[in-house]
Amino acid sequence: MTTTSDQLHRPRDGVSDPILEVKNAKVTYDGGETYVLDNVTFSIERNEILGVVGESGSGKSMLASALLDAIPAPGHLSGEVLYHPDQNTTVDVLEFTDSELMEYRWAEVSMVFQGAMSSFNPTMKVGAHFKDTLKAHNRVVPEGLDFARELLSDLYLDPERVLDSYPHELSGGMQQRALIALSLLLEPEVLVMDEPTAALDLLMQRSILLLLEEIKEKYDVTMVFITHDLPLVASLADRMAVMYAFELVEAGPRDQIIGDSGHPYTRALLNSTPNIDAPLEDMQPIPGKSPAPVNVPAGCSYADRCPLATDTCRQDDPVFEDIGDGHIVACHHWQQATEEIELTFNQDEGGESVEGELR
Amino acid sequence: MGHYYLRRTARVFVTIWLVASLSFGLIRLLPGGPFTLLRANLLRQGVPASEVDARIANLQNIRPNAPLWEQYFDYMFAAAQGNLGTSISLDEPVSQVIAEAVPWTVFIVLVSTILIFVFGILLGAIQAYWEGSRFDQLVSGVSITLMSVPFYVVAVLALFVFAYQFGWFPPAGTIGPTVEPGLTPEFVLSALKHAVLPIFSYTITGIGGQALAMRGNSIQVLGNDYVEVARLRGLSDRRIATRYVARNAILPLYTGFLLLLGFRLGGTVILEQIFSYPGLGYYMWSALESNDYPLMMGTFLVITIALVIGVYIADLTYGIIDPRISRGETDAY
Repeated sequence: MTTTSDQLHRPRDGVSDPILEVKNAKVTYDGGETYVLDNVTFSIERNEILGVVGESGSGKSMLASALLDAIPAPGHLSGEVLYHPDQNTTVDVLEFTDSELMEYRWAEVSMVFQGAMSSFNPTMKVGAHFKDTLKAHNRVVPEGLDFARELLSDLYLDPERVLDSYPHELSGGMQQRALIALSLLLEPEVLVMDEPTAALDLLMQRSILLLLEEIKEKYDVTMVFITHDLPLVASLADRMAVMYAFELVEAGPRDQIIGDSGHPYTRALLNSTPNIDAPLEDMQPIPGKSPAPVNVPAGCSYADRCPLATDTCRQDDPVFEDIGDGHIVACHHWQQATEEIELTFNQDEGGESVEGELR
Repeated sequence: MGHYYLRRTARVFVTIWLVASLSFGLIRLLPGGPFTLLRANLLRQGVPASEVDARIANLQNIRPNAPLWEQYFDYMFAAAQGNLGTSISLDEPVSQVIAEAVPWTVFIVLVSTILIFVFGILLGAIQAYWEGSRFDQLVSGVSITLMSVPFYVVAVLALFVFAYQFGWFPPAGTIGPTVEPGLTPEFVLSALKHAVLPIFSYTITGIGGQALAMRGNSIQVLGNDYVEVARLRGLSDRRIATRYVARNAILPLYTGFLLLLGFRLGGTVILEQIFSYPGLGYYMWSALESNDYPLMMGTFLVITIALVIGVYIADLTYGIIDPRISRGETDAY
């Protein structure tokens, strides 16, 4: 299986100045029996927005937690997570001591969890969360709070009101924005967002996306946006990565993934996306269901559902192939896929149709 | 907000009034009526027949021959002024008997309830922290066992072993017979010595339930995203354990604490009987046994008031300790 990673070394995935590199990351439970993240290798370009998509239970959240070495116990993370604070420095996150890890999390790489409503302590004011974070990292509290106010204003919130409110006194969208401000409090280099808009209504999702672009410009932060909502992230991301059954199956520039995807799964995912303008017969659900983390089939894990699957697919796990412009795909039949699986997804709207929700 | 406090306070009085009326009515419904036996007793004691009615009226603040509604108003007005009549069996004003008994009951109940919560919360928190460990399993097992044992079984056993077999603690009373009441070391020591076994029986059978409740709450809170987020934010384990986990886990127990306090203030009958501890429950029992209606009604009333006030305090203060519960914005109660 190690061949997979060897196929994916720089610069073949189009990343020239990575800020984070993940190599052969595996997350196992039950003493190695159950894989919830299987040999994932990818890198994140400095100051880009990387969108990671996949269906529920495909290992997206595990990938997010792996970036902060924060896999919930008793999960075990192996492999390498390399952090490059600048171009010439490399540190291995998994080798950190506890105190180094504490400083790395939130100050270097920060995270926005899915469901802001549950990310705040319900019996503490929002402002106290900011103070706690500043104190834990030995920052000067008044200065830190000034920065927090600036962040909150940038997110179109009334800083004084938000800081002095309990979480339940804020709406879902306000909590989500307050959480984004909290995650940016220590000026991290990378912001990992795990389904940051899943619990919000469509208008709020859209305005949060717009805010994220502004925030990214202003604070020079690299973003990893993890979601099951392909059209949503397509409007935001520079590059995209597609996960299926705890593995990465395709990665590349956004337009390549949307317009010229090579993996049959990505194509099926695009075709299954509901669109308010698309006639009902054009929407194609993907038949079957994704494998459970125990006994993932040998060979390509998508073979059971893939219309193009051959005996080769069922026996050999496909390795990543470079199909041009930093676009890599793990499929034996990617050429065939681009020819035979027609994309019914309306590409003109691809980047915009927030309505196309997978719910 | 003001409306809420006002309505809530009004409800206290309405509840107490309802219970007082109910106990008045129920006692009138007792077979034979409340006065038949009393009258017979007085006559047997040699009280002249002409004086009997006056004696009864004096004892109960009621005129036995008056219509029921007049008796009811007489009783309620007297009770509202703190006059609960005179105890038949003790020949003392009921309010005085209760005033002497209540501190002892409050002492035992308050100490045991506080002990239950302190130890229950500590044990439950440690169990949750070491969830699934041998300690957790052991404490859970012991907790469930102790929960299933009624306190009076423990009380009788404790009385038998520690008072009669070993003679470590006195078997009855609130203070030694030779000790003068007052804030002297002898008095405090004697009071403590007499209270140890009742408090022990109440506490040991109550800790288990609280420990399990705290364990469940804590495990639930530990599974919340905000605990994980706090950890990622770099907060110290201590800060997370106290401010993020413990506080949120203890909050739901707070109402239970005040309710238990109220219930136990009224429910010490069996305990005080076993230890011959002259508190509220002890007098209530003796009132029942000797058909001492004024004392009976007095103790009922005090017990009701204790419970109602417990719930009242819980309702009023919960909004202060839990910001999510705001006062007066809903009519949900």
